[in-house]
Amino acid sequence: MDFDLNEQQNMLKTMAHDFLINECPKTRVRELEKDAKGYDTSIWSKMVELGWLGLIFPEQYNGTGADFLDLVVLMEEMGRNILPGPFFSTVALCALPILKFGTETQRRKYLVPIADGKNIWSLALSEKSGKFEVSDINTVASFDDKHYVINGEKWFVPFAHVADYLIVACRTGRLKSADEGITLLIVRTKSRGVTINVIPSIAGDGLCRVRFKNVKAGRLDVLGKVGKGWKVINYLAQRATVLKCAEVSGACQAVLDMTQAYAKDRKQFDKPIGAFMAIQHKLVDMLTDVEGLQYMVYYSAWLLSTGAKADMYVSMAKAKANDVYQRVCIDGIKIHGAIGFTLDHDIGCYFRRVKAAEFVLGDTDMHLDKVAAGIGL
Amino acid sequence: MEFRFSQKEEKLREDVRNFARAETAGREIVSGMEEESRDEDWGFAMSMSKKLAQKGWLTMAWPKEYGGQGASFFEQHVYIDEASYWGIPGTTMGVSGIGWVGPSLMIFGSEEQRKKYLPSIAAGEPDGVWCTGYSEPNAGSDVANIQTNAIREGDHYILNGQKIWTSCAHRARWCWLAARTDPNASKKQHGISLIILDMKSPGITIKPIVNYAGIHIFNELFFDNVKVPVMNLVGTENRGWYHLMQSLAFERHSFAPQFYGKGRRALEFMVKFCNEIRYNGKPLAVNAVTRHKLAERAIELETLKMFGYEITWKMSKGLIPVYEAARNKAYCDFVMQRLAITGTEIIGAYSQVDINYKWSKLMANFTRLYMMFPGLALAGGTGEVQKNIVGQFKLGLPRAY
Repeated sequence: MDFDLNEQQNMLKTMAHDFLINECPKTRVRELEKDAKGYDTSIWSKMVELGWLGLIFPEQYNGTGADFLDLVVLMEEMGRNILPGPFFSTVALCALPILKFGTETQRRKYLVPIADGKNIWSLALSEKSGKFEVSDINTVASFDDKHYVINGEKWFVPFAHVADYLIVACRTGRLKSADEGITLLIVRTKSRGVTINVIPSIAGDGLCRVRFKNVKAGRLDVLGKVGKGWKVINYLAQRATVLKCAEVSGACQAVLDMTQAYAKDRKQFDKPIGAFMAIQHKLVDMLTDVEGLQYMVYYSAWLLSTGAKADMYVSMAKAKANDVYQRVCIDGIKIHGAIGFTLDHDIGCYFRRVKAAEFVLGDTDMHLDKVAAGIGL
Repeated sequence: MEFRFSQKEEKLREDVRNFARAETAGREIVSGMEEESRDEDWGFAMSMSKKLAQKGWLTMAWPKEYGGQGASFFEQHVYIDEASYWGIPGTTMGVSGIGWVGPSLMIFGSEEQRKKYLPSIAAGEPDGVWCTGYSEPNAGSDVANIQTNAIREGDHYILNGQKIWTSCAHRARWCWLAARTDPNASKKQHGISLIILDMKSPGITIKPIVNYAGIHIFNELFFDNVKVPVMNLVGTENRGWYHLMQSLAFERHSFAPQFYGKGRRALEFMVKFCNEIRYNGKPLAVNAVTRHKLAERAIELETLKMFGYEITWKMSKGLIPVYEAARNKAYCDFVMQRLAITGTEIIGAYSQVDINYKWSKLMANFTRLYMMFPGLALAGGTGEVQKNIVGQFKLGLPRAY
């Protein structure tokens, strides 16, 4: 048993930390929240040079051949600093399933431009309910001998407005069981009949509504097998959920660090406020939450990396991440007092993203229910 | 990053499981400190201590020369976790001896003391049962405030004063005692020494304190001119405060695997209960509120597991976990409280009842846990004391007390 990161992971962590602090200060984060694109193309190009987009691709797809745990470490740092942009949607939501379920032609065609920073991707999954439920998928793709014709509406699709491609979860058959009848289709956002609108969200994080009206996709645009798309969704959901949790875990560590520093610095009644037990114990509870979350994320990531059955632990990590991110931000803001309630203070940047993370790939209730099933209920 | 146990460690888990199945069949109650209360429970616990010693598990991480197996911290972790899961009584022998007297003597005891006291603990003998005398009426969380005096006269200390909340004093052969050897020291932390007290010495009065659940764990101890040989001093005279801090850290190290094991079993019982018991024609297990409560408890327990792994891993690397142990202690209290409350809520009105009913043993577990957790939460220092330690030593905040 070993909690340590390996040498490569430590190097990646340090490099990512330094890069993000220099390239993406919170002033830039705030600007990007109002920016039409929602991400910084010059930072993106540098990330491509660093090899982050193709971090876990094999070399034949212009990748660097790192493993899933390395990506977890990188996401943790992106969360710690906050890096607005389509990295998660491109790599976690799309590249991972293409790598696993794509045909060799698809992998060559799609992964190389991702690694080279030429294409941005997103996953069009949730619909009007905003939930992660197979029964909520009503977007239909009917087959007319040559093409699939897609009609429907997807909600909360991250960065669709800047994406080149979408993976769209469609219903192609009658629902027999949860994993029957869903097909994943790869669609160019420039295709005729695709309309994309940015949803004004608290974090200004590029969530979009995407409408499909008689949008055509070919047989070769199917990712995985026809009617077996939910299996692909489950595969990507486990990994992407853990990566989202890693991002949240990094964010929580940042909130704790800034609150701890503030409690040492800020004086009232002639003492640093951290000397008051009410404040100190709140900070210790935050630390316990943050460390516990980090270990749960590492544990579920490690389980996935070994190929073991990990769904219950993934759901545990997500339910805990949702819970901890919210609590740590709220307590952090309370310890800061009124200054923490201002637009200029960094803690608000994190708090604005609590709900953005919470509903990605399943809310707390959904994950608690999966945990309940996992323990035998 | 690697969270797998070795094959050797997994084999040990298997062995402990088989032992527990064979030896504790029909005794489903998750054991707690209450094994000290009734004579027959204590007798059974001590018989198990003996068997655990024969298996080489009781003090497995101790060096061979003192009756241990020289096992790794991870092996010890697995044993504690699994033994706690099965509720094997006798794993602690009144807590003190295995938990911290032994480990402390190995650090700052004399070679003579090690040879004299360690083998009987390791062998699971009644002679190896210890209690610990720190708390006094005016020295609770502020333990440096102890007033019990041990004044040196020739080759003896003369002990006068009182201890309170002394678990297991009525079963113990020895007491691991903190007393004031220099009443004129400039600071209250100075002038304290750790002393081994023979509980058979004349002048000791033991008065039981029964808790609100009707269980006898605690005692008051009164010392009236008790003579203790100077050779029973542990470590350096008047430096006892620092030795005591080290001993307290040992006490907190094994909390996480111990409570994780117990909690894991309790949660499994609850799952079984909820799958079988029906309400309005449906099993409790389909109720969303019940599912979510138990799912949250499961997440807390798994978090506790990771905290336990972390400490064991750090110890295996030669580090001495300080804040981590305090954090784990405070987190254990939190987890156990939530588990006890959820368990009794789901069982409902029957959680008050002690009747001969199919689920009574399971229900008694939760009732027992519920009645015990406020008290267990105080053992080894209150939650507030733990958080003060974490605040100071991990977060670098000023002393808040």
